[in-house]
Amino acid sequence: MSLLIAEVDLAFYIPILVILLMALAFVVANLILSHVIGPREQGSTKAIAYESGMNPIGSTRKRFNVRFYVLAMTFLVFDVEIIFLYPWAVTYTQLEPGGQEALLFLGRILFFIGTSIVAYIYAWKKGVFRWD
Amino acid sequence: MVLSPNEVQVIASLVVVVVLLHLFLGGCAYSILLERKLSAWMQDRVGPNRVGPHGAFQPLADGLKFLLKEDYNPRGVDKWLFLLAPGFIMIPAMIGFVVVPFAQKIDVTGLVQLVGVAQPNTEYLVRLVGADINVGLIYFVAVGSIGVYGVVLGGWASNNKFSFLGGLRASAQMISYEIPMGLALLTIVLVSGTINPFEIIAHQQSTAWNLLQMPVAAILFYVCMLAESNRAPFDLAEAESELIGGYHTEYSSMKFALFFLAEYYHMIAGAAFFTMLFLGGWSVNPIAGIIPWDFTNPGNFWLLGLLQAAIVLVKMAGLIAFAMAIRWTLPRFRFDQLMKLAWEGMIPTALLMVLMCSLWIFLGWQDWMVLASLATIVIVFTVHPFMPRQPHPNRRIKIIGSRFSPLEDSPPPASGSGMPVNSPLSD
Repeated sequence: MSLLIAEVDLAFYIPILVILLMALAFVVANLILSHVIGPREQGSTKAIAYESGMNPIGSTRKRFNVRFYVLAMTFLVFDVEIIFLYPWAVTYTQLEPGGQEALLFLGRILFFIGTSIVAYIYAWKKGVFRWD
Repeated sequence: MVLSPNEVQVIASLVVVVVLLHLFLGGCAYSILLERKLSAWMQDRVGPNRVGPHGAFQPLADGLKFLLKEDYNPRGVDKWLFLLAPGFIMIPAMIGFVVVPFAQKIDVTGLVQLVGVAQPNTEYLVRLVGADINVGLIYFVAVGSIGVYGVVLGGWASNNKFSFLGGLRASAQMISYEIPMGLALLTIVLVSGTINPFEIIAHQQSTAWNLLQMPVAAILFYVCMLAESNRAPFDLAEAESELIGGYHTEYSSMKFALFFLAEYYHMIAGAAFFTMLFLGGWSVNPIAGIIPWDFTNPGNFWLLGLLQAAIVLVKMAGLIAFAMAIRWTLPRFRFDQLMKLAWEGMIPTALLMVLMCSLWIFLGWQDWMVLASLATIVIVFTVHPFMPRQPHPNRRIKIIGSRFSPLEDSPPPASGSGMPVNSPLSD
């Protein structure tokens, strides 16, 4: 098993491009078809947003709870960490178990995960995960 | 003109992609019918039975109906984002499955020679997979994350407060559950030592299904799969009792249909990945490491390749039916419970699982991976009682001044009277 760039045949990515185009064509064709075929009528109250039958009060694009923002920031920390862990995992499993190098790899990743665990505990204590 | 084996593989992959795209689109439409039939069966109803025999043509009628409905933009919507959102949710769902392998190899040497483009003395073995790339798992993680944009854009562009709330909730939910999903995938990478889908399946065929090797990771992944596709009990985004329809309230005709199809397409793609990662793909022997026999495909008979694809599809169908059974069995989560489950339950468990797996690999206990899961469970249940107590999520919140929690200075209830009379309104 080798991960050399030279061995990767980029032609294998052509089907992904093709299915991307097919999916795009499916979506666009459906939207256009329903736009062309469907009826078109206007009504005085038809254009009002449906908020359970009440008349909408004020604008929708208002400020929302900052919790969502804080949660997104916490998510970023973990997501980036996980992406870094994939290449580590592939390399780590190919090392000799119990060897010096494996120990080094394990220690490094424990430190790396440890830093984000500190951030995680801080966020927990700050109440980022409390929504009630 | 002669073709190299790689070029033949690309052509075969193109055929697979085109066939599977149509198969899964049809599968989507019919899984909607299956869901309605299953729910009817579980609730002792009949279900759709008017269009065709036993309602068999219901999906076609639904599709036609969606096309014939008016494509309407309510006042105040952001036109371009409103249009983009269905595409953003449907396209990633449709392209996700391409890296899932469906059969080991099929010998097409005869066919290539028949067409007359064969190199002499070359064997042409193709794999039944959409894209035979090394980074299959990374591709899945990357594509699976894009779907959240459609939900956010749909909620934002609709100019409807309920849609907006639904979009916010859905995005918070989807990004939260992406983390345990990524960590569960990481344990797979640790155990099989590769991110190539074929090698992951080969590893399972030489040891045991990952479902048995790492049950904790399998459960985490399945739950995350439900949450990522916004399926009950995680359908907070479209909680109809609170948010009308959630982020797709304002959508009509085919735009709504795309949102609806995307949910089922997500489920199909997720089932395909679960089959590949935890159920050993086309493997039929869950414990091949102990009983060394499995259904292998020498490649020289193409029907065996199709049989392998059929095994994968049957496993997927079982997973989809299971997800539907879950939907009609479990009630919906509340939002704080949902977040608590993700951040205070699943993420620590998944992190612990990753640490245990790396420790097991360091000690060279690859054959006893199931013990890593056991150790995770034991540690979780040992540590849990010592965690700082939090108010119970289902506690009763007192409404001060009601007859069950009277005001402090109100008189005590008169003894002997049948009805409590201590309401502040009664005096």
